[in-house]
Amino acid sequence: MAKQFEKRDRRFLGIGVQSAIKGFFGGNALLSIAILLLICVFLGKEAFLFFPDHHKGLQLYRKSGQEYVDGMKRQVEDHADLNSLMAQAYFAEKADIAGREWGVVDAFGYLVDLAEDEGEDEIDAWADAREELEDAEEDAEVKRAESEARAAWGEKLGEILAKADRAEADRFGRLEAGEWERLKASMAEWDPVEEEPPAFVVQAEKDLKAKMGTFEAARNAFAAAVGPLNDLKETLRGKAMVVKEEAEADLTAVARKKALVEGAAASTNSEDRQRRLDEAAAIVIREKFPFAERTEVFYESKPEHARLAAEYLVALKAAMELVPRAPGSKEAEARLTQIRSELPDVLQDFSRNSVMVQEWRHDKPYGWWRSISAFFFGKDWVTNSSWHDFFGLLPLFTGSLLISVIALMVAVPFAVSAAIYVNQLARRWEQTIIKPAIEFVQAIPSVVLGFFGIMVLGTFLRELSQVEALSWVPGFPMAERLNILNAGLLLGLMAVPTIFTLCEDALNNVPRAFGEASLALGASKLQTVWRVIAPAAASGILAAVLLGFGRVIGETMVVLLVAGNKIAIPDFSEGIGVITQPAHTMTGIIAQETGEVDKGSLHWRALFMVGLILFVISLFLNWTAQRIIHRFRIA
Amino acid sequence: MSFVPQLNERSMNEINFDATPEPALPAEIPVMSPAKSRGTEGKEAAKSLIEIEDLGFSYDLGQTETLRNITLSIPKGQVTSFIGPSGCGKSTLLRCLNRMNDLIDTAKVTRGKIKIMGQDIHAADVDPIELRKRVGMVFQKYNPFPKSIFENAAYGMRIQGVKSQKVLAEAVERALKQSALWDEVKDRLNSSALGLSGGQQQRLCIARAIAVQPEIILMDEPCSALDPIATARIEELITDLKENYTIVIVTHNMQQATRVSARTAFFYLGELIEVGPTTKIFGNPSKKQTEDYVSGRFG
Repeated sequence: MAKQFEKRDRRFLGIGVQSAIKGFFGGNALLSIAILLLICVFLGKEAFLFFPDHHKGLQLYRKSGQEYVDGMKRQVEDHADLNSLMAQAYFAEKADIAGREWGVVDAFGYLVDLAEDEGEDEIDAWADAREELEDAEEDAEVKRAESEARAAWGEKLGEILAKADRAEADRFGRLEAGEWERLKASMAEWDPVEEEPPAFVVQAEKDLKAKMGTFEAARNAFAAAVGPLNDLKETLRGKAMVVKEEAEADLTAVARKKALVEGAAASTNSEDRQRRLDEAAAIVIREKFPFAERTEVFYESKPEHARLAAEYLVALKAAMELVPRAPGSKEAEARLTQIRSELPDVLQDFSRNSVMVQEWRHDKPYGWWRSISAFFFGKDWVTNSSWHDFFGLLPLFTGSLLISVIALMVAVPFAVSAAIYVNQLARRWEQTIIKPAIEFVQAIPSVVLGFFGIMVLGTFLRELSQVEALSWVPGFPMAERLNILNAGLLLGLMAVPTIFTLCEDALNNVPRAFGEASLALGASKLQTVWRVIAPAAASGILAAVLLGFGRVIGETMVVLLVAGNKIAIPDFSEGIGVITQPAHTMTGIIAQETGEVDKGSLHWRALFMVGLILFVISLFLNWTAQRIIHRFRIA
Repeated sequence: MSFVPQLNERSMNEINFDATPEPALPAEIPVMSPAKSRGTEGKEAAKSLIEIEDLGFSYDLGQTETLRNITLSIPKGQVTSFIGPSGCGKSTLLRCLNRMNDLIDTAKVTRGKIKIMGQDIHAADVDPIELRKRVGMVFQKYNPFPKSIFENAAYGMRIQGVKSQKVLAEAVERALKQSALWDEVKDRLNSSALGLSGGQQQRLCIARAIAVQPEIILMDEPCSALDPIATARIEELITDLKENYTIVIVTHNMQQATRVSARTAFFYLGELIEVGPTTKIFGNPSKKQTEDYVSGRFG
């Protein structure tokens, strides 16, 4: 008798079709989880190896004396910032109170350059003729030749003066009426051989000196104050560099020696073998690099540094005394006020750096916490440097954050109101146009958007920023075409579809009954949206914003092309105007630098660490969004 | 109850054909029903609050009429039930009374008019928002907002621009007392309305509707999602409320109609078959269709 309820499944190698299908789908799910885990493990491993290497690097930075030299370097750099303000003040004053004289001297310089350039042959001929005349004063022939040469020069000068371009000579329009003509006329007095300026110019130079003499002295004294300290720094810098290079070579000595010996053994050319063996013999293998001995020079320089630092403070004070109390120019006064207000901070930093320099010891242990915070809170990201590579996340993080915040500030109002409009207020035909149009933005490749940002938006923004009527806007006129604002606007555009779609879903999930109940109570459509629908969808909208944030902070191509890629913490002193500065981002730096680093190097690991942090940020945003949606779900 | 909610248009037509040997001409009914009501309750016609005159209504811009030739007057201060099998148009008619059907783009009144307190509610100068403030509605599925109990009850006041906390608190307390919910929730007015039981939520919806003191409350099967005990409480509440409000209730539950309403209107396939005092409709209906329906022979 045939069995009644026999399995009718076809089998292959003992596996039924049903279980094969089940296995296929289950296997796929498992595979994707496994790949995700692998990525996490790989990323985590490579990234966390960064910290030991980074720590070693920073230890070497201290032991080699680079840290010591950088203390002085910061002192010199702080001074340079002040010095540039001083120069601005000086030139503003010069333009304002001695503009005429400055204009005359400048225009004269232009005319001299032009004449010497154009009339070179005539001047040379005249000079030769005069030389000959000196030797043979009585010779009529020579006399005649000299006067001919002089006439030729005179003629040439006339031509040159006719050609001279006033706009070029007096680019800032400092000359007063008639002075250009007077200057040209006085050029006849100018002797191109002796290079004596005409009396008119001599007078102007004298006036200029009378007006600006003290300020110029002050400025020069100010600039020169740091000179000796800078010289000391430069000398020590070279020494620290040598120590570092030798110490690094020492670390690889064993490996290099081994490689050379092996290479010699494998070499067939006896000359080559000998060369390799000699090189290998030259490599000294030391138990320990004698840092104490090699850094003695730094300890010896400490008293000198102390002396120069004290001298600097005295010189700076003296220079500040020289600066005119009441400059004639508003601009100069503003700059000088700025210098005076910044001076206490600079001096405080100076003495802090002095203390650091004086207390520096090559063998002071470098704390783990310090090297970790040097990554997370470090203000410099300097790579491929011959001096020392710094891996500080802060400039990249700030850039990413600023750009994302701007992007969200642009995208959220647009996307949320568009979603509310489409979902609640729009007519059907409007829905059929708006929804696909917004979602289409997602289809634009980010590189195309970046290209648009460079070619169109950047140019437009800069031209807009140069409009006189808009000069009150913070950060306007903007110096850079590629900057945070530009990148933020484009990323905002990219985030709109993400936020819009998720928001619309959130609004759709609000039960219709809420809207009906509100309308039946006599609420208008807008009141209903504002008081019932939007609050009920608020958690979904918040989640949409967070996911949009995740999208924006992870975006690479646009920021790489448009953000300006300047690795520095933007200057927040301008307030909101900070957004017109260029910046670099965490995603951008990975895209830009990964291609050119050695596998396994500290730089490589640093990039992985940045990647890991991005991953963690995205993970956190997604997780939070999920939590919010889950928690506030309406039954 | 033995109605079949899933009846489609075609099967309904078949039933119509079988169950009504004498064809009910559309023109006859409007003539007959007012005549009947005038005869039996001539006094109430004067107090009539809602007058529906020869109403025709379509969900698809007039291609097919969901309601046809409805002529009905609803008296003030009473509970009126709309009964009839699923798809007969009773809910549609209810939603015409506060113009909730306006929310459907293709919905349209094809003929006739509805007068509430003597005013044609479809007149050009009528704002449906103002209308809905006077004609409250309670839905089949309780739908309090995801807000606190207080905010739910105060919602109608808030959208009318009432800001004074004192006025709001008084109105909320009055509404919650009228809807017999006050004692249960007075200690947790600020907790979420979604934490209440189903029956409490429906009573909160009633409180929300009466907080703005409308003239009329429309109830669209208010008990169909509730258990018998909660249903009994709502019915009790409806009986209390008729003192102050005119109530129109759509129900599938014929016992409910007999318990709560003074008058009953029976609808079938978009037409008003019969209207009269509840006792007459259930005890001695003048139409065969009505009798078949109330005796449970179909529907």
